[in-house]
Amino acid sequence: MKLITAILKPFKLDEVKDALQGAGITGMTVSEASGFGRQKGHTEVYRGAEYTVDLVPKVRLEVLVDDADAANIVDVIVKAAGTGSIGDGKVWTTPVDQVVRVRTGERGPDAI
Amino acid sequence: MGTRERRLRSNERDLLISELFRSSGADPEKIAIAAVGSFGRGELSPGSDLDIVILHTGSYSQAGLTEIVNAILYPLWDQKIKVDHSVRTRSEVRDALSEDLKVAMGLLDIRLICGSADLVAEVQSSALSTWREDSGKYLPELEKTLEERYERNGELAYLLEPDLKESRGGLRDITALRAMHVSSALTLPMERISQAESVLSTTREALHTVSGRDKDRLLFTEQDKVAAHLGYVDADALMSDVAQAARAVDYLMQMAWHQYHHKGRDGFGRFLKRVRSDVISPGLTVSNREVVIDPTFDLESDPVIGLRAAATAAQLGMRLSFDSLRSYGDALDAGRGALPHPWPREAREYLISLIGAGPAMVEIFEALDQEEIIFHWIPEWRGVRSLPQRNVLHRHTVDRHMVETAVSAAALTREVHRPDLLLFTALFHDIGKGTEEDHSIRGEELIKPLAARIGFNESDIATIQKLIRHHLLLSATATRRDLDDPATISSVAEHISDVGTLELLHALSIADGIATGRAAWSDWKATLVSDLVRRVKLAITDNTITQQPELTAEQISRAETGALSVLIEDRGSVYAIEVVAPDKTGLLSIVSGVLNILRLDVRSARTKTINNVAVMEWIVLPDPNAPDLSQEHLAREISRGFESEGKLAERIQERIDAYAQMPTIPVPAPVVETFLDAATDATIIEVRSHDRPALLFSIGDTVRKCNIDIRSAIVTTLGAEAIDTLYVTEIGGGALTAERADEVTSRIQGSLK
Repeated sequence: MKLITAILKPFKLDEVKDALQGAGITGMTVSEASGFGRQKGHTEVYRGAEYTVDLVPKVRLEVLVDDADAANIVDVIVKAAGTGSIGDGKVWTTPVDQVVRVRTGERGPDAI
Repeated sequence: MGTRERRLRSNERDLLISELFRSSGADPEKIAIAAVGSFGRGELSPGSDLDIVILHTGSYSQAGLTEIVNAILYPLWDQKIKVDHSVRTRSEVRDALSEDLKVAMGLLDIRLICGSADLVAEVQSSALSTWREDSGKYLPELEKTLEERYERNGELAYLLEPDLKESRGGLRDITALRAMHVSSALTLPMERISQAESVLSTTREALHTVSGRDKDRLLFTEQDKVAAHLGYVDADALMSDVAQAARAVDYLMQMAWHQYHHKGRDGFGRFLKRVRSDVISPGLTVSNREVVIDPTFDLESDPVIGLRAAATAAQLGMRLSFDSLRSYGDALDAGRGALPHPWPREAREYLISLIGAGPAMVEIFEALDQEEIIFHWIPEWRGVRSLPQRNVLHRHTVDRHMVETAVSAAALTREVHRPDLLLFTALFHDIGKGTEEDHSIRGEELIKPLAARIGFNESDIATIQKLIRHHLLLSATATRRDLDDPATISSVAEHISDVGTLELLHALSIADGIATGRAAWSDWKATLVSDLVRRVKLAITDNTITQQPELTAEQISRAETGALSVLIEDRGSVYAIEVVAPDKTGLLSIVSGVLNILRLDVRSARTKTINNVAVMEWIVLPDPNAPDLSQEHLAREISRGFESEGKLAERIQERIDAYAQMPTIPVPAPVVETFLDAATDATIIEVRSHDRPALLFSIGDTVRKCNIDIRSAIVTTLGAEAIDTLYVTEIGGGALTAERADEVTSRIQGSLK
């Protein structure tokens, strides 16, 4: 099993959610996040005052998938989240040892 | 389902216990069984415990007593009836009474079921007299336990899944109120909550019945079933009734504690032989830390008094007297004291002052709702009264959410140039909720006649409508659209095309988000919305600033005479005053100071200097205690002010000192900003502050001490918020340098502390 984590531009969340549902993913966790990558924030000038935007608002999306589905789901996310411009985000996978569904006690892929 | 069923259920249990008592062989002269708590009141819900006290004379042996008690309790337990019991002698009851608040309150409802009536009567009498004699000990303890319980269980009226018994405004509060009522310390109009008690008890009974459990938390998943069981149209209708009932209970509770803490006491809680009453304006006094409307006041002569009382109380951080509210509400019901249509300007200003008081307005607004006064002023409010939102995003009913939004908006009044529009829109932004229609569109329609009735002009009404129509635009766009895409920015600018409206919409979005709750608003979202606003502002900024006042030909010809002249026009509730005077350093502060001394509240002013003569147009609202005004009198006072500025300053300081004795509420700090106006080569000083006595005098006086010249000024007071814009130059002409502007800014800020 794999945990896929994606950092996305907030406005892309709906598209990514739709694409994931289209790919058969029914459950996911979404949270608010802030950060920066290579873009290193940006500076804006307004009425002569400089505003440095250090941390850019993003959303963090997490999905648990079977090993066999991981590559495809990553592709689905990348395709839906991309705008081609800087700050589109990142997607990565992490191996997962065990998953338990709290309500039923099911374990492993059955709990996904 | 109702009181009758609960009484029948209680009677059945009485019969069962009496039967068991008889068959136990207990001596009815030496032992008694009594019901306490809700069982004592004969109000048993299906899941209620049987709270009983087994009283005995102490003449039984331990073994004999145990045998009797077991013979009564075991059959009940065998039938899976939950029993909360105690076995006590009279002296043990007395000990428990003095040590345990819960026991003391429970025994106030004691009722004989079977056995010795004398034993129960004796305990009942002892419980009541102890409760009354020791109310000074019990009531503070009760207040503490209530606060703890509220902390744990939240407010019944606003929770998605409230506890009908334990939450604030719930059934346990009704028990507490009953106990407070029978203490010697308070007298409460308990009939006010009889309907509320019926709603809450019946809902609890239905919950126990449909869930088959004895839990009192009305879970979201059970609300539809309970509503259907009780014959409501839907769960929203049920939850609206429950919320309304809880608010009625809580209102009486607030009334009770205020009465307990303040009636007949001074500010330190000491008892007074004679209640102190301070007149604050015609028809209004402060007594027992409440603003009181004089019961003999002629409402027809001043129908604004209700709003004046509410705004005054809110700005002082006090309550409105419950008695005054009730009699004022009765008068309105009887058709006396209705506001004219449209409202006079001061009525609108008082409404804005009330809304702008921040947290202090919540209790007052709730009182206006509970006494149904608000519906006389704003009938549209009834459509959202206790309207539940039943989703995880919102933490309040629609009406309370709008009040909370206004509270949040009050903290943002320095961020906008029209605080009155921000506050008004915040209070009504969701007025369109309650139907299937898009509430923003419906709200835009509903607000138009309401805003017109309250007296806003066409242009302001258009802005208010736009704000309500688009109050979700910034949040939705910031989180769902690409902010780097110019089309996103254009889509907002298309609807909001000027900076003033954009800053209002930004403040409204923040206030709405904060009031909605943590699920709807976070620093993360605030950053996105601010980023969007910054980008839209860049796209629409036209660098226009408020135009300086222009003079008419008559004003120019009067100015050419170079002499002091005063013209007064009576415009009903306000005076329009024109003062033409030779320009001199400190002129603005002198004239504003004289107006202050004459108890004329400056609502707006525009001044301009031409050829060393200043032309000043003032709109002033006379204080109800203001002396009669004549042109000659005002001209004479201004001349005196010119001759003796020091004396004028002393008199104003006396007024400021007198006002400083009055209680205040926390308000946002003043904001002082300076800009360079390239077109006129002047420096613009903009001061945004909560209004207070002689504010303009203080600003003008500080400017005078900075040795700079006021070329023109635009002064606006909106409710309790003031925005003063001064165009200043160095004495010899020319804008201030950046250093001088900083110095002046800092000195004005210092004078406003």
